[in-house]
Amino acid sequence: MSATTPGLAPISVRRRASDRFARGILLALTLIALVPLVLIVYELLRKGLGAISWDFFTTDPTGRTCFPGQTTCTIGGVKSAILGTIEIVALAAVIAIPFGIGVALYLVEFGKTGKFANVVRYFVDVMTGVPSVVFGLFVYIVLVVTGIGGTFAAWKGSIALALLMLPVVTRSGEVVLNLVPNQLRESALALGAPRWKVVFSIVLPTALPGLITGSMLAIARAAGETAPLLFTSFSLLGTSFALGNQMNSLPIQIFNDVQAPNDAIVQRAWGSALTLVVGVLLLTTIARLAQRRSKLT
Amino acid sequence: MNPRDTETQTPPAELRTRDVNAPSETAMADAIASATVKGEQPPATGRTLNVDSLQAYYGDNHAVRDITLTYAANRVTAMIGPSGCGKSTVLRCLNRMHEEIPNARAEGQVMLDEIDIYDSKVDVVAVRRAIGMVFQKPNPFPTMSIFDNVAAGLRLAGIKGVDTKQRVEESLRGAGLWEEVKDRLGSPGIGLSGGQQQRLCIARTIAVKPEVILMDEPCSALDPIATLKIEELIEQLKRDYTIVIVTHNMQQAARVADTTAFFLLGDLVEHAPTGKIFSSPDDSRTEDYVSGKFG
Amino acid sequence: MESGTAGGVAQHELRQRFRDELSSLEAHTLGALDLVTMQIDRSLEALEHQDVELAEMIVADDDRLDGRFLEVHQGILSLLALQAPVAGDLRLVAALLHTIKHIERMGDQCVNIAKLIPITGWEPPVDDELLMTILRMGRQARSEVVQCKRAFTERDVALAEDLVRQDREINRANREVFRRAIDIGDDPDTREWAMTMVMVARAYERVGDNAVDIGEQVAFVVSGLFREFSDSSHVPGSK
Repeated sequence: MSATTPGLAPISVRRRASDRFARGILLALTLIALVPLVLIVYELLRKGLGAISWDFFTTDPTGRTCFPGQTTCTIGGVKSAILGTIEIVALAAVIAIPFGIGVALYLVEFGKTGKFANVVRYFVDVMTGVPSVVFGLFVYIVLVVTGIGGTFAAWKGSIALALLMLPVVTRSGEVVLNLVPNQLRESALALGAPRWKVVFSIVLPTALPGLITGSMLAIARAAGETAPLLFTSFSLLGTSFALGNQMNSLPIQIFNDVQAPNDAIVQRAWGSALTLVVGVLLLTTIARLAQRRSKLT
Repeated sequence: MNPRDTETQTPPAELRTRDVNAPSETAMADAIASATVKGEQPPATGRTLNVDSLQAYYGDNHAVRDITLTYAANRVTAMIGPSGCGKSTVLRCLNRMHEEIPNARAEGQVMLDEIDIYDSKVDVVAVRRAIGMVFQKPNPFPTMSIFDNVAAGLRLAGIKGVDTKQRVEESLRGAGLWEEVKDRLGSPGIGLSGGQQQRLCIARTIAVKPEVILMDEPCSALDPIATLKIEELIEQLKRDYTIVIVTHNMQQAARVADTTAFFLLGDLVEHAPTGKIFSSPDDSRTEDYVSGKFG
Repeated sequence: MESGTAGGVAQHELRQRFRDELSSLEAHTLGALDLVTMQIDRSLEALEHQDVELAEMIVADDDRLDGRFLEVHQGILSLLALQAPVAGDLRLVAALLHTIKHIERMGDQCVNIAKLIPITGWEPPVDDELLMTILRMGRQARSEVVQCKRAFTERDVALAEDLVRQDREINRANREVFRRAIDIGDDPDTREWAMTMVMVARAYERVGDNAVDIGEQVAFVVSGLFREFSDSSHVPGSK
């Protein structure tokens, strides 16, 4: 640095250029990554919007492959699929969320760094990587083939989905519970609270928004899974509330419709896909809003 | 020389009065020993905490060695010392919070009057109801309102048969917070300033009516004015509770404590009236620490 | 001072205990000036009536002033160690340390006077004019002591500076006593008495000086500046 120029040195031209270059590369990569997302949304809207109508939401699929020109033939909507998805996923959530949060509570509050807790954590990690079809097959072999409670049934589909959701709920639950400052637990203990009260009166309420977020995301994931349902709840045309029997669901409906020779039915498949995506979007948005109310992050 | 004629020369009576209060030598020694012109001390009607041969371990680390010490009733005892000297560990042994840390254990006796809190028949939860604790970082429960925060102590400790509203008001008054929050008891506890939050935590602690209050560096996260307000509060609180305070801030110990204990590397070096520790301590290590030669 | 119910924090200033201790220390210090005033009154009485018993009482009661000095000294050390006063409080504490020393000196001067009285014997020759001057000096010193106490209590710098004016009179009287003693005559008893009176006069003059010094402390507390009101190195009358 020259002795005659006091003060700070200006940015060199070369540094400015390399700065711009790096920014440019990152921007390009981001845009490239966005392209397929945009394309998917575009295709969904283009192909699926046409199927959306009042009938789409209020009538069951007729199962008839109507050919063009058959004026008295209707293909119907996807009411049973939508309701079926809601029922199956709701039951799965009722099973998975309490268990998942329970395991997370055990890991964070009681097991901590113990050997057994570490083993549990390991298995939970493994479970998050298991392909969803494996869950379906597992339930198929254990419950469907053996004929426990009939063959295909909606509740078996729920179990398969619950197995899928469990590790997700536990994982995110563990993260959120660890975010609760230890000082809060200590304060509660120091006031003379037994440990279980510390967990249920202080830790859980504080972590609740985060736990809700994790649960919503798990639900969103499970709602779109096809493979587990293929082997368990199978399919049905009509709207049903009998969990002990087969039931329709959106992923299965899409799976069936896409293979049909009728363009209208294929379009119905796209409409179902669009519905599914919008549903998942709603759940994720609710999850985000719940996250904002959290005082932990 | 003629003897003086006393009849015409009697001086006024007050000049002739021999002062019966003229101090003798022992009286002057007492004056020196009584240190300052100190204010009145509250009567010692509360419970005393006696520690005998206390040892504390973190796994194999012998962090606190053979501590024997008395925390006088209705007085403030400060524990000072450099980082890692064991003062916070000793504090946590006093309400059995030390054992909540994995692999940590304590041995020895801690007597609350005649009861050994480490006795196997004693319920840990009951110990903590009698010996409360205020932590370094103010931590009101985030999901609760001001009212619920103070009442939390009662609810968590399972204390029944108490008029909650009255107890909450009493505790908030006792913590010097009532006037500032009486119109917004329903608003969230974390909406208060740092100093107010700490006073809220103090109110929460005294709501269960403990005998002893332990304070772990209660002011280190607060600004100077909030710190002084809490020190004023401690001065008032000692009328009803025995107080033990761990502090990094020597000036705070000097202002607030009746007696001060100096710890170094897990040992108790000296425990004496605060005036003595800060003017002429017995141990040279104490002298070096308080005059800032190491820390 | 209002205090809340159930031991709540009173709605008053912070560090109230410290403020109470500080004002108590100030009162203790300045209260000693009342003792000095009483000792001066006694000395005047003893001088006027040759009261040897009263003189003995003055000597005995000086223990009180010495004790007060030790108490205040210890109190100041304690306050400095435990409360770390700053700014105005620190100046006050420093001023009190100086002041109690001056007060103790005043007490010692009264003792000196008291010890001189028996030396003159039971019925010494008295030069009325000389005695009157000395008594006037004593009363002047007393008035200075009272005034310096008021100046300190009220933090009145003007009043403190006025002490200089009063002190000049004592100094003038002191010189007068000295001159008179020189011209007192040939009688050895009279001369001996006169020499003793010169020492008494000097003692009163020293009391006055100490009062002025306390006045300087008042100025220091108020302004933070320390300056001598009157420089004794000046030739008298040259200002």
